[in-house]
Amino acid sequence: MLVDLPGGWSPLLGRLAWSQIPYANPILAPLFVAVVIGAIIILGLITYYGKWTYLWKEWLTTVDHKKLGVMYIIIGLVMLFRGFIDGLMIRTQQVWAVGPHSSGVFGSLHGYLTPFHFGQVYSAHGLIMILLAATPLLVGFMNIIVPIQVGARDMAYPYLNALGLWITAAAAALIMISLFVGDFAHNGWFEYAPIFELQYSPGVGVDYWMWTLQLVALGTTLGGINILATIIKMRAPGMTWGKLPIFVWTSLAANVIALTSFPALQVALGLVAADRYLGAHFFTAGMGGNLMLYTNLFWIWGHPEVYFVILPAFGMMSEIFPTFSEKPLFGYITMVLASMAIAGVSWLVWLHHFFTMGAGPFVNTAFSVATMLVGIPTGVKVFNWAFTMYRGRLTFNAAMLWAIGALFLLLVGGFTGMMLAIPAINYMVHNSVFVVAHFHSMLLVIVYAIFGSVLYWFPKVFGFKLDEFWAKTMFWLFSAGTVLVFVPMYMLGFMGMTRRLEYVFDTGWQSYLTVMELGIVVYVFSVLAFFILLYVSVRDHAKNRVGADAWGTSRSLEWMTHSPVPFYNFAVLPHINERDELAWRRQHGIDQVRPEHYEDIHMPNNTGVAIILGGLTFVLGFALTWRIWWLCIVSLLAIILLMIIRSFKGDPGYIITGAELQRMEEEAYRREAQVLDSHHSHPVSGGVVGNAMAYQRNDSSK
Amino acid sequence: MEMKWRNWLKNGWRAAALLPVLLLSGCSGNSYWIFDPKGIMAKTNLFYMIVDVVIMGAIVGLTALLVIWFMWRYKKGKSRGKYDPHWSHSNTIEIFVWGIPIVAVGFLSYFAVRGTFEINPYNPTVITHHMKPNGDPVEVDVIATDWQWLFVYPQYHMAVANELVLPVHTPVFFRLTSSAVTTTFFIPQLVGMIDVMPGMRTKNALMSNHIGEYQGIASDFAGAGTSWMTFKTKMVSAGDFSQWVQQVQKAPGSMTYASFNRFAQPYINVHHHVVYFSAVEPGLFDHVMAEVMRGKTWPLPPMMTENMVDYMQKQAAEHRD
Repeated sequence: MLVDLPGGWSPLLGRLAWSQIPYANPILAPLFVAVVIGAIIILGLITYYGKWTYLWKEWLTTVDHKKLGVMYIIIGLVMLFRGFIDGLMIRTQQVWAVGPHSSGVFGSLHGYLTPFHFGQVYSAHGLIMILLAATPLLVGFMNIIVPIQVGARDMAYPYLNALGLWITAAAAALIMISLFVGDFAHNGWFEYAPIFELQYSPGVGVDYWMWTLQLVALGTTLGGINILATIIKMRAPGMTWGKLPIFVWTSLAANVIALTSFPALQVALGLVAADRYLGAHFFTAGMGGNLMLYTNLFWIWGHPEVYFVILPAFGMMSEIFPTFSEKPLFGYITMVLASMAIAGVSWLVWLHHFFTMGAGPFVNTAFSVATMLVGIPTGVKVFNWAFTMYRGRLTFNAAMLWAIGALFLLLVGGFTGMMLAIPAINYMVHNSVFVVAHFHSMLLVIVYAIFGSVLYWFPKVFGFKLDEFWAKTMFWLFSAGTVLVFVPMYMLGFMGMTRRLEYVFDTGWQSYLTVMELGIVVYVFSVLAFFILLYVSVRDHAKNRVGADAWGTSRSLEWMTHSPVPFYNFAVLPHINERDELAWRRQHGIDQVRPEHYEDIHMPNNTGVAIILGGLTFVLGFALTWRIWWLCIVSLLAIILLMIIRSFKGDPGYIITGAELQRMEEEAYRREAQVLDSHHSHPVSGGVVGNAMAYQRNDSSK
Repeated sequence: MEMKWRNWLKNGWRAAALLPVLLLSGCSGNSYWIFDPKGIMAKTNLFYMIVDVVIMGAIVGLTALLVIWFMWRYKKGKSRGKYDPHWSHSNTIEIFVWGIPIVAVGFLSYFAVRGTFEINPYNPTVITHHMKPNGDPVEVDVIATDWQWLFVYPQYHMAVANELVLPVHTPVFFRLTSSAVTTTFFIPQLVGMIDVMPGMRTKNALMSNHIGEYQGIASDFAGAGTSWMTFKTKMVSAGDFSQWVQQVQKAPGSMTYASFNRFAQPYINVHHHVVYFSAVEPGLFDHVMAEVMRGKTWPLPPMMTENMVDYMQKQAAEHRD
C-alpha cells in the first residue's frame, strides 16, 4: 500500500466488509428490500412470458441506433427519477432542520439526514442529474434522430455505439450500487481539493464518484466520436452543410465540445486517483500540491459540459418551434453561427465558476467579459425562436408548450446568468442558493426541451402519439412545481442563504423553504401524471397511430420514413434538394412519392460483445473503488482480450435483398394506409419528379 | 360533460402556476441581506446589481412580452395576424437580433471592469481611495479550521474564536487562510465572498458605518460541520471596541502554535462557543501556513457523522464542552 488506508483491507475483498452494508439504516434497508422484490418480480415476469430470447436478441445485443437511443433514454429517465428523489430528500431535510429547536430523528440532531448522509444525497443528486440523466437523455435523442435526419441507415460505428451505451449503463449501475454497498461522495458533485483527499474523505465515496465519472466520460466520448463521424461522413446524397437540419448542427457543436473537453476531466480524475491510490500530491495543500489546479482542470471540462448539454436542447427547441409554427426556422444561418459561437466561447469562461477563489482583477474581468459574450449568441437564439413564431400559425399542443416553457426559463436563466457574470455581483451570491436557482433554471431548459422532444419524436419511434390531455396536465403541474421551488430559492439567495446547508441556522427562511417543499409535492404529482401519461398512451395506442408525418406540419427528413421507423431507416436513400426537405416536397406535391424499385442494402450484425464489455467495465469500476486488486487485473485483462478478439473477427454485416426490402416496404405502406384510412394512389418514381430528384438513382449506401 | 371537466382542470393548472405569488406575500418581514447592505463593499456590490438588473431586465422583459404577443397574435385559427409560410429571413431584424445583445454586453462590460477593480479584495479602491489619515486600519488574520473560525488581531496580540468584533468608520483588512480544507468567508451585509484555502493566503477588506450585529457564514462546503460554522460580526463604536479589546486581553486562554494544533482538531461548533485568547504567538498565521505547506493535515475519522447524536456525545467527552 502506498497510502495509509483508514480501516481494514484484505487481499481477497479489498476494503469491502460486512460493516459497509448499511443494513441498519432506516431509509436504505427498506429500499433495498423493495429493490430486491421489484427485481424478482420483473425477472419472474420476463421468465413467465418467455421473453429472455426476445430481450437478448432484440435489445441487449442490438446495434440499431434507434433501440440504443431508446435504452439511453430509459436509463436517463430512470436516473432522472432517482435524482428527483434525491432532490425531494434535500428539500425535506432543509424544511425540517430549521433553527436550534427543530427535531431530529435517525441519529440526526435536526431533520432526518445526518451531515454524512445529506452530503451523499446532494452529491449524488448533482452528478446523476447532469451526467446520468441529462447526458444520456440527450445522447439518446441524438442517437435516434441524427442518423435519420442526415439520411443514414445507422451510425458510422454501430458496435461502438452499443459499447458507449453499455459503459454508460455500467456507470449508472456503479452509482446505484453505492446506495447499498459502502457510501457515496459527500462533498458535492464536482468535489473540492483538498477535501477529496484521503485525509478528509477516508471512505470509498470519493472513489465511487471518481470511477462513475470516468466511465461516463468514456461512454460519452465514444458516443461523441460516433455522432461526429456520422454527421461528417454519412449524410444522404445532396445534403450539403447548408441543408443540414438544425438539430444536427447543434449535435455537431455539442459533440465537438464533448470530444475535446472530456479528456480534460479524465486527466483531472486520473490525478485525483494518483493522490488517493498512489499517495501523490497533485492537489494536496502541502508537499508542493496545488489545490487550485484541480478547480481549474475540473471547470475547464465543466463549463464546456454545460454547453454540451444545452446545445442539443437548443436544437430540439429549434425543431419543435418551426413544426408547430408551420413555417421555417427564422435565421437558419444565424442559428448555426450562434451554435458554433457558443461552442467556441464555452472554452473561454471556466473561471467564472470561481471568481471568489482570489484571482486578481485583470483575470476576473477577462473572464467576466468572456462570459457575457455567451449572452450574445444565446440572445440571438431567443430572438430567432420568437421570430419563428412571428407570422406563423401556432398550435399549442403539449410539445410546443414544453418548448415555450424552455424559452421562458432560458430568459430567466440568462437574466440571472448575466448577473453572475459580473464579479461585483458574483461575490455576493456565489455559493448561495441564488446560484443553485440559476443553474437549475438553465438545466430545466434542458429538461423542458427533453420532455418536449419525448412528445414530439415519440410517434416517430413507436408509431403512436402520446396522450395530449395527460401530457398537458403534466406540463402545467411541472411548471407550477418549477415556479414554487425556484422563485423562493432566488429570493432566499437575496436573503443570503448559502448552499448545501444540512442545518438551516436562520429561522426567518422557514416559510420560503416550506413553499419550496410544497413545490416538490407538486413535482411529485407531475411525475405521477407522467406515469399515467405512459399508461394511458400505451392503452390507447391503437387510436393514436400515425403515418410517416405524424404532425402533418413536420419539415425534416426523419418524417419521410415510416412510423415506427424500420430498422433500415430508409429503403432507398432520399436525395436532398432543400434545407427543409419534407416541407419542400410537400410544397411541390411529391411528398407521397415512392421509389419504383429496391436494391440490396447492407446492415450491421448484432453483437453480444458490447454488453459483456459493459459488464466487465462495471466490475472493474467496482474493484477499483474497493481496491480489490486481483479483480481489477482479471477484469482489465478480460476487457483487453475481448477487444482484441473482436477486432480480429470484425463484422461483415449482412445483406437485405431488394425483394425482401420491397416486401417489408409494401407491408409498411399497407399498415400506414390502414392508419390513415387513405386510398388515394401514390406516384412511383425512379428518381426524377418534375425538376426535382426524389431518390438517389443508384443506391450506393454501402 | 367530460370536456367541461377537462377545461376546468386545464384552467386550474394554469392558476396553480401563479399560486406562489400569493404564498410569498405571506413571507414578508424577513431581511433581504443582499438588498440591505451595511458596509461599503456590500453597498458597491448592490449598485452593480441594480445597474445589471435594470439593463438586462428591460431587454429580457421586453423579449418576454414580444414572445407573449406573438403567441397571442399568431395562434392558429384566430386569424389575428397574417400567416406567411415562407418568411424566414430579414436583414433588418438580423441587425437588431445581433445588435441588441452586442450593445448590452458592451455596456455591461464597462461596468463589470469598473466594479471588479472597485471591490478587488486585494485592494478595494472604494476603501483605499477614501481612507482618512487619522483612522488607523484594523488588521485581522482569519484562520479557518474544521469547523471553526479563529480571528487573530495581531495589533493587539489576541485572538477570538467564532466571533468578530470590529470598530465602525474604520477600514478593516483581512488576511485569510485555512488549516484543513477550503471554505469561503462571507458576511452578506458587509462584504462579499472570498475563498479561504489551506497553505494559501487570500485577502479581503471591509468598512462599515453602521453599529449592529451581522451574520457571518462559511459559504463553501467544508465537510460535516459546515452548517454550524457561522459567526456573528459585531460592528461597535470606537470606544466600545477598545473596551472589548481590553476585556479579551485579560482572558486566561493563550494561543501558541501548540495550542492551535489542538484547537484545529475536527470540532463541530453546534453550540456556537465563543472563546477569547490573550497572548497570541506572534506570526501564528504564517506559522500555520508554513506547516500546512510542509504537509501538515488534521485528518477526519471515517464515517464521522454517520450518527450525529453519537458523534456529539463523543465530541463532548473529548473536547471542552
